Amino acid sequence: MAPKGSSTPCSGVTLKVRPCVAIGDAIRAHTGYLARGYDLVFESPKSDKLSLFDLGEKAYDHLLILPPRSKGFGPALSPKNIVNFINQDGNVLLALSGKSTTPSAISSLLLELDLHLATDRSSVVLDHFNYDTLSASEKHDVLLLQRPGQLRPDTKDFFGGEGVLALPRTAPHTLGDTALLTPILRAPVTAYSYNPKEDLSADDDVWATGSQLALVSAMQSRSSSRFTLLGSAESLQDQWFSATVKVPGSEQETGTANQEFAKQLTAWTFKETGVLKVGKIEHHLAQADITAEDLNPAIYRIKNETVFSIEISEYSNDKFVPFEVPANDALQLEFSMLSPFQRLKLEPSSRTENSTIYTTQFTVPDQHGIFSFRVNYKRPFLTNIEEKHEVTVRHFAHDEYPRSWKISGGWVWIAGLWSVIGGFLAFVFVWLYSEPTSAKTKKTQ
Amino acid sequence: MAPKRTPAAASSAAASGSSGPVSAPSPQTTAAPSSLSSGPKTLTTNSSIFDIAHTVWQQYLATTPQRTLLLDAFMAFLVLVGGVQFVYCVLAGNYPFNAFLSGFSAAVGQFVLTASLRMQTSSPSSSTTSGEEGAFADYVFGSLILHFFCINFIN
Repeated sequence: MAPKGSSTPCSGVTLKVRPCVAIGDAIRAHTGYLARGYDLVFESPKSDKLSLFDLGEKAYDHLLILPPRSKGFGPALSPKNIVNFINQDGNVLLALSGKSTTPSAISSLLLELDLHLATDRSSVVLDHFNYDTLSASEKHDVLLLQRPGQLRPDTKDFFGGEGVLALPRTAPHTLGDTALLTPILRAPVTAYSYNPKEDLSADDDVWATGSQLALVSAMQSRSSSRFTLLGSAESLQDQWFSATVKVPGSEQETGTANQEFAKQLTAWTFKETGVLKVGKIEHHLAQADITAEDLNPAIYRIKNETVFSIEISEYSNDKFVPFEVPANDALQLEFSMLSPFQRLKLEPSSRTENSTIYTTQFTVPDQHGIFSFRVNYKRPFLTNIEEKHEVTVRHFAHDEYPRSWKISGGWVWIAGLWSVIGGFLAFVFVWLYSEPTSAKTKKTQ
Repeated sequence: MAPKRTPAAASSAAASGSSGPVSAPSPQTTAAPSSLSSGPKTLTTNSSIFDIAHTVWQQYLATTPQRTLLLDAFMAFLVLVGGVQFVYCVLAGNYPFNAFLSGFSAAVGQFVLTASLRMQTSSPSSSTTSGEEGAFADYVFGSLILHFFCINFIN
């Protein structure tokens, strides 16, 4: 689980973890926040030796791509290769910069992920209300923003905390409506996108403004590999980790929280946080004594009372901790055959040192067939849980129905049946005893 | 059920040689033939319905063989039992349905079997190959099968 290496590009370079590739002299400035067990390999984006794959397998666990000094990336970093890298469960942190034009290869990579850059690919975000008065009193291109809070009330907060973020010369992007995309940090409503190389008057129709502009976004693929887009590579530099900034209108100078945010961002991207692991899954009949043979039976009967439990851990930096479902959210069990017949909230029933056991109890529906217990938990910032366990549900065996006399509603009909039988027997007896007379009568007639 | 009994009763009455037509004890069906009746008590066209019914009933009792009377009594009993079960099903609901089916179909099935026995035994003109004893044996055999199924089905 622990990331092995990363490659950092130096000024405009790639960084991968396991071997992490970093290029140029900017590397050192960019990787201090990764000094926690990553085996960094630095590569120039145009290097001939650089390849993301080794014998068809990914050669690095993680990839950190910083803006290149040169105009573009080499063939090893084509969009196809990077998408393949993500498909093989590699994680990518891509940093852009407003200082240079984004390479078209990156632009088309982002298009594949439904992330959209400004058409000129060299815009920066300006904000005349949230800029740093010390370093950008003229250009207003160093944004000072609060750390992002919870995305929604029902998600976990991996990027929160106190302090101010300084985002110098940020290249903005907008998000498509793919469900896999999640914004981490959006621009404030007073921000807008501006191309410093173009004449101001030409900016009549604005591409996007305000909180339409995303500054930091994340995409988590269906296989749970992660891709993070950071608009401002400069914010990762040591100089901004220790910078002192001042918001307009404020007397007080404060330090930035960039270092901590960089740690959170890389930790999330490289799967040190928000990783869920499913432990043992058990289901059985709801009865007191459960032996090993009673666990996870392959067959149930309709209307059985059934207990299902699932053990879930969450990896947090360096250890597994019990996973707690965020408030306002629910972990659900589905008991389904084609469509769910039951969808139930799983409640935490017990905790171990590093896992929580969620349990629910329900009655198997009155429908026989091949059912499956499914836990399908896909949430922003958390790796996906998709568990499916098939069981057979049979109908009552012929000797499992209650006997007729157990159901008082049927007593009348039971009495009816037996009176018919009794009447028949009496009739037969009388018939037989009445034979002589009857025969005589018949004969005389 | 009533129509079934009517021809049977009529045929048995005819077979017994009685001069008056004997029919089911239903005033409506007997109204027309009553004018032709030549039973012990003479009826006129002005006779009241009660008189007609009474005469028919007396004739039925007087002219029907004992075994046929016994059959008719048993069939009336089956109608009663089946009717009670059906009314109960309508009033109290059909749960457990298998019990209803079993109980009700036992009554109906027994009625049908008994009716066929009556047809075979009450009229000598009806050509049965096995005779009265054979018809009765068939009847007992069929009834036992019916009871076996019904008991099994009611669980």
